[in-house]
Amino acid sequence: MAQRLKIAAVTTIYHKHSHTQHIVDRFLEGYGWNGRHHRPEMDLVSLYVDQVDELSAEEIAEGKKRPDLSRDREERFPQLTIYPTVADALTLGGSELAVDGVLLVGEHGKYQRNEKGQHLYPRYELFKQIVAVYRASGRSAPIFNDKHLSWKWEWCQEMYDISQEMGFAFMAGSSLPVTWRTPSIDMPLDAPVTEGMCVGYGGVDSYDYHALETLQCMIERRAGGEKGVRWVQAYKGDAFWEAHHAELWSHELFEACLCRSHTLKPGRAGFNDIFPTIDELKEICQEPYAYQYEHLDGLKSTMIMMNGLIQDFNFAAHIEGKEQPLSTQMYLPMPPARTTLANFFSPLVNNVEKMFLTGKPTYPVERTLLTSGLVIGGVDSLHQDQARIDTPHLKIEYQPTAESTFWRT
Amino acid sequence: MTRSSVTVAEPERKTQTKPQRIRRPPRPPVTTDVIDPKEQPSPRKRSAMTSTAPKRIAVVCTIYRYLSHAQHFADRFLVGYPYEGIWRRPDMEVVSLYVDQKPQGDQSQDRAREFGFEVYPTIAETLRCGGDELAVDAVLIIGEHGDYPRNEKGQILYPRYEFFKECVKVFEKDGRAVPVYNDKHLSYSFDKAKEMLDDARRLEFPVLAGSSLPVTWRLPDVELPLGCQIEEALMIGCGGSDPMDYHALEAMQCMIERRAGGETGVKAVQLLEGDEVWKAGEEGRWSKELLESALSRSDSPCGLTVEDGRTQDMLGNGELPKLVEEPAAYLIEFRDGLKATLLMLNGAIRDYCFACRLEGEENPVSTQFFLTPTPNVTYSACLVAKIEEMIVSGAAPFPADRTMIVCGILESCLTSKVEGNKRLETPHLDVQYRAPAESHHGRA
Repeated sequence: MAQRLKIAAVTTIYHKHSHTQHIVDRFLEGYGWNGRHHRPEMDLVSLYVDQVDELSAEEIAEGKKRPDLSRDREERFPQLTIYPTVADALTLGGSELAVDGVLLVGEHGKYQRNEKGQHLYPRYELFKQIVAVYRASGRSAPIFNDKHLSWKWEWCQEMYDISQEMGFAFMAGSSLPVTWRTPSIDMPLDAPVTEGMCVGYGGVDSYDYHALETLQCMIERRAGGEKGVRWVQAYKGDAFWEAHHAELWSHELFEACLCRSHTLKPGRAGFNDIFPTIDELKEICQEPYAYQYEHLDGLKSTMIMMNGLIQDFNFAAHIEGKEQPLSTQMYLPMPPARTTLANFFSPLVNNVEKMFLTGKPTYPVERTLLTSGLVIGGVDSLHQDQARIDTPHLKIEYQPTAESTFWRT
Repeated sequence: MTRSSVTVAEPERKTQTKPQRIRRPPRPPVTTDVIDPKEQPSPRKRSAMTSTAPKRIAVVCTIYRYLSHAQHFADRFLVGYPYEGIWRRPDMEVVSLYVDQKPQGDQSQDRAREFGFEVYPTIAETLRCGGDELAVDAVLIIGEHGDYPRNEKGQILYPRYEFFKECVKVFEKDGRAVPVYNDKHLSYSFDKAKEMLDDARRLEFPVLAGSSLPVTWRLPDVELPLGCQIEEALMIGCGGSDPMDYHALEAMQCMIERRAGGETGVKAVQLLEGDEVWKAGEEGRWSKELLESALSRSDSPCGLTVEDGRTQDMLGNGELPKLVEEPAAYLIEFRDGLKATLLMLNGAIRDYCFACRLEGEENPVSTQFFLTPTPNVTYSACLVAKIEEMIVSGAAPFPADRTMIVCGILESCLTSKVEGNKRLETPHLDVQYRAPAESHHGRA
């Protein structure tokens, strides 16, 4: 019988509803998959946690519960050991790489923001510590990097280049590309897409990244595949509405996205579901912003964030020869308001499991390299008075997987 | 391609100083293929270009206030609704309204004033729009919410049967009948439900009835193959009786009615409570494998998940019986031998999931009926699209017999409950029907 794989998790913080909890718990506890409680065919054996919250004496006296869950998980799962360094987690306290796959979850925790508002999560730094062990051991293992690669473009590129040079499987990204869709549809492979859009919600250098992944996982399936991006430009406040009125993006796509939402804020009291007028839109959504970008093959894509108006991520695209836009919602069962489990992490973990088992990513990391660059470009544009940012470094060409990888079963 | 614009939108409402009656322009045909798609502008612009008169709708409801079923359903005919990626505006207009009770927050007069219809004091006048004969093309009966008593079985005595019979009287007297949508179950009483559908058959008008669960999105988007061999089925749900057990039963029925031979009726039912529910599971009277499968589709396990966010195998880790407050099992034996069970698991989960075992399949088929969030409750938009379909085509897209048999199952289960949880033979539930070949849940 083949040995069960050993997996290490390198994380920033492990508390309730942190990405670490969502991802690592699924490896430890199992999760609902294909109508079963599925338990991954591998053991999560080691954990590095960068920040461990401690309670003050007063908080303990008040009976507050310790937010950190890593020690609880270590106690409950005999196979799991917490190590004080990344290197120890990967070598299991020994001298060389002793695991078969690494989860890198650098989301949440107390990290500084820079002047552009970017959260300085240490994904690159942790990645470098992982590959230092690989180099010292003369052996590597697949890595899954949660969310975008880094907040600094050069570091994103370096992470990608290292994975290529060392030849290990590298996957990254958001849950949005792999979660449920309502309706359950994919962009037909090689579709002649003429314009793409995602309308979502959330903050800068946060959910904007998820919206970009929502867009990218669909439009990368267009005829010719992804060619890269020529420029990106942000619009916010008055400039957003001016761009909207000038139809810099398709109103039909915008409307299709809103018609896929399950959380459209009614513009009028007493109505539960009513399409907003433009005046109502402006009233409801005080600070809309958008990132628009042009691909090297000429395709125009727009990400629009309508905070206050909706609380979901919706995609629409014009396809040549089709009368109606293709549209869907990437549905996130989001706790605590709507659910207790963030089950959109289940298909993400399932894809990661497949990569660990086969040594092959189930979808291209180039998608996330590109969206990492796009979110940095969008943030830079916002920071530079919404100037258009040329992105010669985003000449990232790749082909999508022929098979759909979103949650359908 | 013509691009739509959200800037083209009801300017009147913003500029008026006081509400006034707005005669809405005619609406486009419901089936979009009637218009040359190339000429098809935005859903907002489309209203100016149709020649056929819009269908006239009467609404007969218990109450009309924010978040009542009448408001959810009737409003969609007034302001449109999201469907298949557009804001769809039915080619129909509400022309009359009967409202049985006007509690605080009543919106009936406001809606009538804004959208230009009348509120009439009786159902007959509503259907005749104050004239001498039937003056509408369809009736929506929405008898949910409002202050009505409960019977000894805990059933709320909504006057749906009484409303329906008032409509039937008008149809008979005026020599013409029109399609009727009945929201939720037909009646708390199977006999009344049966009489309602007998009336419809006799007078040859289509009836669409039921819950939104059969037509909402499914996670995953599955449909049982028509004519499949189902070995056993199980549904899990939550909420109070009799509203929520009804929804769960109808969700299960829309799946199992697709089995080989179609629906053949119910032989017996039994409602178990408390520890008897778990004991029945140990004895194999319901399938633990199917329960695990249904639970695996839930996004809302409670207990340890609420505490620290963890995923759980609630059946395997023994948490389930600890969490469920007042467990109830609705055991249903069908005449063709199929065994189906509804487990109400309040305290343990907060969603509605189905699982069944098909002959020859190694793994159960399972799914969640996705109840989208309040206030949009877009699942009711899925149902309104089906109502529209019936009004336009003159045929119900799926049989009201489904709802009738569910009325009977629920009533008999609740009788079992008040009669000491005993097993009850149900020779009266001799209901046969065939499921539609086509799927009608949210999938486009």
